[in-house]
Amino acid sequence: MNDDKQLENLLRTIDDRPGEDARERALTAALRAFDEVQLEKKSGAASQGSAAPGRPTPEPHSFGRTIMQMLTANTTTQRWLYSGMASAAVLVLGVFIALQLPQNGTRLTPSEPLAEHYDPAAGAGALPAGGRDNVAALRPAPSPLPTAVEMDSALSHDGAAAEKLADSAVLSGLASHAVSGIDPLPRVQQEGRDRFDATVANPVKRVSAEPVSTFSIDVDTASYSFVRRQLNSGVLPQKAAVRLEEMVNYFPYDYPLPTDRSQPFSTHVTVLDSPWKAGNKLVHIGIQGYDVQGAQPRSNLVFLLDVSGSMNSPDKLPLVKQSMALLLERLRPDDSVAIVVYAGAAGTVLEPTPVKDRQKILSALERLQAGGSTAGAAGIQLAYRLAESSFIEEGVNRIILATDGDFNVGIDNPEELTGFVERKRDSGVFLSVLGFGQGNYHDSLMQALAQNGNGVAAYIDTFGEAQKVLVEEATSALFPIATDVKIQVEFNPATVSEYRLLGYETRMLAEEDFNNDAVDAGDIGAGHSVTAIYEITPVGSDSGVYSDSRYQESAGTSGGGDEYGYLKLRYKLPGEDSSRLISQPIGTDVTTTALLLREARFATAVAGFAQLLTGGKYLVDWDYRDALELASANRGDDRFGYRAEFIQLVRRAEVADAM
Amino acid sequence: MRRQYSQKMRAPAPRIPPPASSNNKTGQRQVMSTALNEIIRRAQRGDRDAFARLVEDHYASMFRFACRYCANRQDGEDVTQQACIKLARSLEQFRFESAFSSWLYRLVINTARDMHKSRRPAVSAEFEDIVAADSAETAIYLQQVVAQVDRMGEGFREVLALVIGEGLTHAEAAVILQVRESTVSWRLHEIRKRLSAQGQSGVDP
Repeated sequence: MNDDKQLENLLRTIDDRPGEDARERALTAALRAFDEVQLEKKSGAASQGSAAPGRPTPEPHSFGRTIMQMLTANTTTQRWLYSGMASAAVLVLGVFIALQLPQNGTRLTPSEPLAEHYDPAAGAGALPAGGRDNVAALRPAPSPLPTAVEMDSALSHDGAAAEKLADSAVLSGLASHAVSGIDPLPRVQQEGRDRFDATVANPVKRVSAEPVSTFSIDVDTASYSFVRRQLNSGVLPQKAAVRLEEMVNYFPYDYPLPTDRSQPFSTHVTVLDSPWKAGNKLVHIGIQGYDVQGAQPRSNLVFLLDVSGSMNSPDKLPLVKQSMALLLERLRPDDSVAIVVYAGAAGTVLEPTPVKDRQKILSALERLQAGGSTAGAAGIQLAYRLAESSFIEEGVNRIILATDGDFNVGIDNPEELTGFVERKRDSGVFLSVLGFGQGNYHDSLMQALAQNGNGVAAYIDTFGEAQKVLVEEATSALFPIATDVKIQVEFNPATVSEYRLLGYETRMLAEEDFNNDAVDAGDIGAGHSVTAIYEITPVGSDSGVYSDSRYQESAGTSGGGDEYGYLKLRYKLPGEDSSRLISQPIGTDVTTTALLLREARFATAVAGFAQLLTGGKYLVDWDYRDALELASANRGDDRFGYRAEFIQLVRRAEVADAM
Repeated sequence: MRRQYSQKMRAPAPRIPPPASSNNKTGQRQVMSTALNEIIRRAQRGDRDAFARLVEDHYASMFRFACRYCANRQDGEDVTQQACIKLARSLEQFRFESAFSSWLYRLVINTARDMHKSRRPAVSAEFEDIVAADSAETAIYLQQVVAQVDRMGEGFREVLALVIGEGLTHAEAAVILQVRESTVSWRLHEIRKRLSAQGQSGVDP
């Protein structure tokens, strides 16, 4: 790769032959440190109770360091080795389930420009393309399917073009950037969803500077499953795996159901004192969708299963089989199911079969065995062909892909894949993904797929989770009641000086996108509840992070002194093109019920816990014990035991954190 | 304008650990690593000479990597020195569970990260210090590229230094960074793509 070569050459321009002086200095300093350690070890052994001798900690008076500072003047404070260096916090990021109901009708007409479905936040291009290098070699000979050939050639064409571009543009462009000296904004923020690491927590904002906050709802729950998995194995999760909103939204909340069917969901606003910062308040916004009863639409499902060798572990293929069997339970007898596998070769294991032939489907599932390499095959095209062959108008036509993340299903370029899935979405066939197994970086791709498909994301780590996603929440995962749901809160500068949205970093929208119906956002499924929490600093409280502005007018004159702000929600009914608006003020003095308060407090405990796992920058002294207390006190009915499990997780985290 | 910095290619420097050249893949590495392990064990027990030997043997490769990571020689020296001190303090924690080389890479990376945390890279202020690079312009340019990659997020700069700079395979880099191989591949792809995207928007001089 030519641009790699150029980069490599560039990196090699530094003279990296060690200088003798520097080498001597380093050796001397290292030996002094070594002597110190030996000395400490001896004295540590002698005087018991001295601070853990084996553990490297900052030592302000260490001799070695003094020497070192004298020698290299610009070396300032040092922090010694992360203890984390030893703890192999293996990145666990999973695959998402992107369940998607057909929104039959106008919304899906092919004439509608694709771009309109494309959320700029995710669509801005940078989809993860990991594994491409490795996968390319495995790409099979042109597939017999015409579509596959098309895809492949389109892909390689794009690929080549991209290489060329990169080749010519990288260096010259950067050079000009270097010359002009203009620092472009880091693109990280805008492309939030295309990457899983280093999402920066939403900052505290001044109401005077930015009174309006806009975001898309998120009903994914995958993050909580990763975190649970990590904590259950005794390790703190990697910070990037923790997405606060997904943890909060994992739990069902007992928000009152909407009383009036004219609105698909009810909104509940609760204001409570911030548990971690005296003076601050938490504005808790709970949205509850109605639950569909009775008739569910007919379904035409194609299971696309990864049976490569890597799936051969108890938490993968066997769990996939069990999950699929569970899903069968939820289907109607006249629904249709087909099975396609991919590994060494893609093949149809089961032609579309009505669910009433349960035994036939189950035995086909049972026969599946993991083995062979994951050769990129025409699996996905095959699956789409089958789905199209048994297409049900006015029904659910969906491919369910189960994989451990080796996502080379015929199209190995994620952008191409997302595009392909998106085009197929217009034909009425949707793709859902169930992630299995550990250590899956395709997090980002799944997020993109879920977002482009307006889907729900989940990750199956245990049979219990399969039960939750595929049985208990099947209706919410399968049948959206409102799509493109956006929330916008305008804070009142007369009453609120600062605010901070907890979580939803990857779902932020531009203020103007709120009213733009072409901008995609998250969906709410039947019976779903969604929770968002703001931490606010009321005017007059000294608990804010900003100091007073000398020249800013201290209070707005617009009045509304009894309102913290104004909440607006936009949503579309499935199949509709134009959005509807719900709005309500957030009063400073809202009366609330004991039930709502309990639910808000539990959500707060989860939100606090998620912040602890990511460093707890805003939590002052609030710690795992406080999270435990708050969660235990607000457990409620907890029908499925999720909250009890959460409390266990907090304990585990406390232990893991202490290590 | 297309810039080609074709440098006089120095012979690719050996990766950490460099002692005892070895062509025979496994057999000799085995022998080599037992000798290395012996030195490490002795150093862990408090043998000063063994520790000195360890530092001497690995200084060059640590320094080379630090240079690639920091994108300038001065910082490279500081980081390496600090890493050597850190080595003294944390060698005890090396449990022979991973290759010593991977462990050293991590040590250097962690040191560099810590130092960068306490000291924001002041690119413009350090032009004078970049004495060794072939030209000041190249050096500045290099720092810009690395700063650019650094801004892409955590772990990107490491991938650049390990895969492009050190010529490690994606799998080797993945072990060092304790992420999946595919993550490394993806980051690398992102680096290429974003650098090139940067290029498109830039003004072609």
